[in-house]
Amino acid sequence: MTIKIGIPRSLLFYNFIPFWKTFFEGIGAEVVTSGRTNKAILQDGLRLSVDEACLPVKVAFGHVEHLKDRADYIFIPRLVSVFPREYICPKFLGFPDMVRQNVRGLPGVIDTSINMYRRERDLYGQFFEIGSRICGNPFKIALAIKKAGEEMKRFTARVESGLRPDRAYGPGSPEETPDRRKNATVAVLGHPYNIYDSFINISLLKRLEDAGINVLTTDNVPEKEVNYYVSSLNKKLFWTLGRRMVGAAYHFLESPGISGIIHVASFACGPDSMTGELIERRARRTGDKPYLSLTLDEHTGEAGIVTRIEAFLDMVGMNRQSARC
Amino acid sequence: MIGFIGLDVGSVSTNIVFLDDEGKVRESVYLRTNGRPIPAVQKGLRQISRLVPLRTVIRGVGATGSGRHLAGIIAGADVIKNEITSHATASSRLVPGVRTVLEIGGQDSKIIVLRDGIVADFAMNTVCAAGTGSFLDQQAARLNVKIEDFGGLSLKASSPVRIAGRCAVFAESDMIHKQQMGYDLPDILAGLCEALVRNYLNNVGKGKDISGPVVFQGGVAANLGMRSAFERALNKEIIVPPNYDVMGAVGAAMLARDYVSRGAPTGFKGFGAAETDFHAGSFECDGCPNCCEVVELSENGAVIARWGDRCGKWSNNVSREKIS
Repeated sequence: MTIKIGIPRSLLFYNFIPFWKTFFEGIGAEVVTSGRTNKAILQDGLRLSVDEACLPVKVAFGHVEHLKDRADYIFIPRLVSVFPREYICPKFLGFPDMVRQNVRGLPGVIDTSINMYRRERDLYGQFFEIGSRICGNPFKIALAIKKAGEEMKRFTARVESGLRPDRAYGPGSPEETPDRRKNATVAVLGHPYNIYDSFINISLLKRLEDAGINVLTTDNVPEKEVNYYVSSLNKKLFWTLGRRMVGAAYHFLESPGISGIIHVASFACGPDSMTGELIERRARRTGDKPYLSLTLDEHTGEAGIVTRIEAFLDMVGMNRQSARC
Repeated sequence: MIGFIGLDVGSVSTNIVFLDDEGKVRESVYLRTNGRPIPAVQKGLRQISRLVPLRTVIRGVGATGSGRHLAGIIAGADVIKNEITSHATASSRLVPGVRTVLEIGGQDSKIIVLRDGIVADFAMNTVCAAGTGSFLDQQAARLNVKIEDFGGLSLKASSPVRIAGRCAVFAESDMIHKQQMGYDLPDILAGLCEALVRNYLNNVGKGKDISGPVVFQGGVAANLGMRSAFERALNKEIIVPPNYDVMGAVGAAMLARDYVSRGAPTGFKGFGAAETDFHAGSFECDGCPNCCEVVELSENGAVIARWGDRCGKWSNNVSREKIS
């Protein structure tokens, strides 16, 4: 019987699912994922997690809860670092422990540390360790890691060409080609688990697209561009997601094709409070692009978000109009 | 004559204005919403219909505020606009050259930065209601001061006391403490105004370039204590426009006027809408685990609008079906 690996659709899912899925399938396992976030998942997440956690971490608990009965193993790696000399938020690091404490009736848990702080190739050994728990054939594991790496490269190239990560993965989705004729392009900056989870952000991307806006996100900015822009900072940013967000923001602020910038942050997120400030200050100094900061929390009331998005789009529209005449 | 109607249905107040052909504010009605927006809109329409001159043709209607969708459907609005754009439109046309708009309403507060008549930046209060009208209302009631007398009394302060304004709950306990210590009422009231202004500037106004002319509008602008606290904190003259409490509605009416001037006919249902039987109810959809709470609005028993569903299953599917 094939072993089923459950991967929750939360946290860094949208960044690494191509790698994870290809790897597990390469060693002969079947991958099951939790569905898109919905109210039931959120409610379970709120019930199971600690109060101090941010919304995306709470939601992640809900995803584990909804996945646990459908898999033989839950894959919640201890994400320490996914880039040399940088870290991921400490809540991710403790996530497997919090899950073990609070979620009852878990199947096997794969919580091997993913730590590339010292060097990138440490990842190989870490995935080899994961593979050995499921598959006895070292050649098969090695091949699966290689294939996963190649898939990841393809995925990254597609995303950097302007596709949204949640659309760039999976066999030929119909929405593949974004419509470049749409009237304005708005950059949405934020952690992937906030901007691609339409439940958490109350369908932000869909609302923008429905209004005829072309959307680009943090992930669409190539690593090289990001690094070029963050190198102007006084001090190195050691959070990978924060560095990417700031670099992407500075890139978009200088791109003539971008008509406005939306920064999405989670309420109570430590790194966001700083990166948000860095971005907002630069946006103000540059001063010619409408800028909106949205803070997400567990309220499902749409009114606040909708009012802000509408006002922001009015601002973008008026700004474009006055630039034309 | 020809005129335009603006509706602003907020959490605390419902405002209705009547603009003449030139876009000048002729009549306005300020009502308490009392948590029931439909009767409030109808009552407002009834009142304004008595104030509007005879043989007036309403050429356009605009709706704004958190209840704008509801109000828009009831009245048949031509334009349904968010509060930011509405407030900005009104102040930029009534106070030419305005560069900053401070707006404090019942449950939210906002700042709008305008440059050359165009919104350049804005912010609304996030998860904090400290510094809004509701809180002032509540504290005035607790101190047994009429909200109308609040501002005047606070101006009599000789040395305002320092109150923590970071959070409404802590501000209240701080105030109670100061009362028990024996501080004078005007000093406490003035201290409260200063605390709210401080909180507003640190929270909503954080990092914004507040340059003059500065306009202060929204219901709270009636409070003289708040005005003078803003003047002291910003060290700038604060302009309170004549229709400060209904500026959202004025803006909505102006936007409706712009809209129909391009030749569109109005969707206004007439003042008779005040007598129609509207009923709003909600139900939980069980189509998927999202369990959306869907709101359903019916007119004389026929469903005319639905909203609140994420997928559009209900809102896109409104036929004139009868509810049994």
